[in-house]
Amino acid sequence: MRRIVITGMGAINALGNDAASTWAGMVAGRSGIGPIERVPAEQLRMGNVVAEIKGFDPVARLGERAAMMDLAGQYAVVAADEAIAQAGIRFDGENGARTAVVVGTGASGEATRDDQYRRLYADNASRLHPLGIVKMMINASASHISMAHGITGPTFVVASACASSNHAFAQAAMMIRAGLVDAAIAGGTEACITLGTMRAWEAMRVLAPEIRPFSAGRRGIVLGEGAAMFVLETLEHAQARGAMILAELAGAGMSSDAGDIAAPSADGAAAAMRAALRDGELAAEEVGYINAHGTGTQANDSTETRALHQVFGAHARKLAVSSTKPMHGHALGAAGAFELIATIGALREGVIPPTLNYHEPDPACDLDYVPNVAREQAVTAAISNSFAFGGLNAVVALKRWV
Amino acid sequence: MSTQQETFEIIAKQAKIDIATIKPESTLKDLGIASLDAIEVIFDIEEHFDVTLPNEDTDFENGTVGQLIEAIDRQIAAKSAG
Repeated sequence: MRRIVITGMGAINALGNDAASTWAGMVAGRSGIGPIERVPAEQLRMGNVVAEIKGFDPVARLGERAAMMDLAGQYAVVAADEAIAQAGIRFDGENGARTAVVVGTGASGEATRDDQYRRLYADNASRLHPLGIVKMMINASASHISMAHGITGPTFVVASACASSNHAFAQAAMMIRAGLVDAAIAGGTEACITLGTMRAWEAMRVLAPEIRPFSAGRRGIVLGEGAAMFVLETLEHAQARGAMILAELAGAGMSSDAGDIAAPSADGAAAAMRAALRDGELAAEEVGYINAHGTGTQANDSTETRALHQVFGAHARKLAVSSTKPMHGHALGAAGAFELIATIGALREGVIPPTLNYHEPDPACDLDYVPNVAREQAVTAAISNSFAFGGLNAVVALKRWV
Repeated sequence: MSTQQETFEIIAKQAKIDIATIKPESTLKDLGIASLDAIEVIFDIEEHFDVTLPNEDTDFENGTVGQLIEAIDRQIAAKSAG
């Protein structure tokens, strides 16, 4: 079987406008969450804190083409540019056709949709902007990445709400293994901080004034936004180029709860984790770190803990488990991509990013959640969990590259 | 009709349960109303009374129907005072 390695990463989110500052923020235990600026707080009932991106000038970063893109597309291209530059990979000749682009996103286009519909319903506008469709279409981010770099292989988005990024990594890995392509740009993007989206999340009663995963008294999520992208390629391809290898993508596991449209299932989550370990040929005892889905809802965190017990047995007590969402927010379709930066960082540098806002233990969450402060601890294998509304689960397994 | 009676009717209708099974000391969880069903019950109550119930007053696990009714009455009183 072809081995797959990661040779580049890029990111933009509330922790920083590149991958290095995102990781530095995670190690420092910094939170990018603060009072909302994009939407007037008085128009919101509960969701007045978010993890917003600050200091991003789309035209300075992207030039005139920024006007063709929704925020979700802009974030995706910026992150992909950074990942591709780090990897030093080129797409000339046959290489362009031998590379895929797979972007995970839950919705995309939200700011464009919000703006168009406000003009239509509130302002009674007589005409809408002609670029509305090309900005709001969910596949736009993948298209713009391929256009920017001349990548002509299989290019599309995958959508599975909060598991989208991990499904994108899995899809990209399967295409590389099958020999369709030798490399892929894969990751996730989301730009969901709009009045319409915030009010819809509020109505579901899952937004909280503070996100405190696995902690007693947790009340829900805080939304985030941004993109993170990675260059995946076969080990042979990377070595032939003399590329620096960040980590090995050992395997991926996917499952569907086939149960409730919102409530999570320990069995479904456990099935995806087991499948990832099996696919990556990893024994449970080899895994040292779990980047948890850890949304901060009552149901997710206790369910995820039960699933970890099911999969890891006695070894569960030895795992370092952390949720990085209190730092970068829950960025829905981009969540798994941000969390891959945390997972790669833990493997490369032997530092486990913490679970911030951990105030007091909950008997239903009885593992080591690396509370509040990063910890130096060597890790040789790790998994990153994403469990979506709709019962769709995707887990990726990574190994340290030495 | 009292807030209690109207609330019981909304819960019975949304959850498709016999109204006689609902007691002030029941939690929504006791009544078998979980997840999205519970959120829909709260939404129906908010629409019916035209009030907004903060998340703190809608603890589906431990909060009782009686406490929910008190929260509704507080919001109705606040609305008429405002």
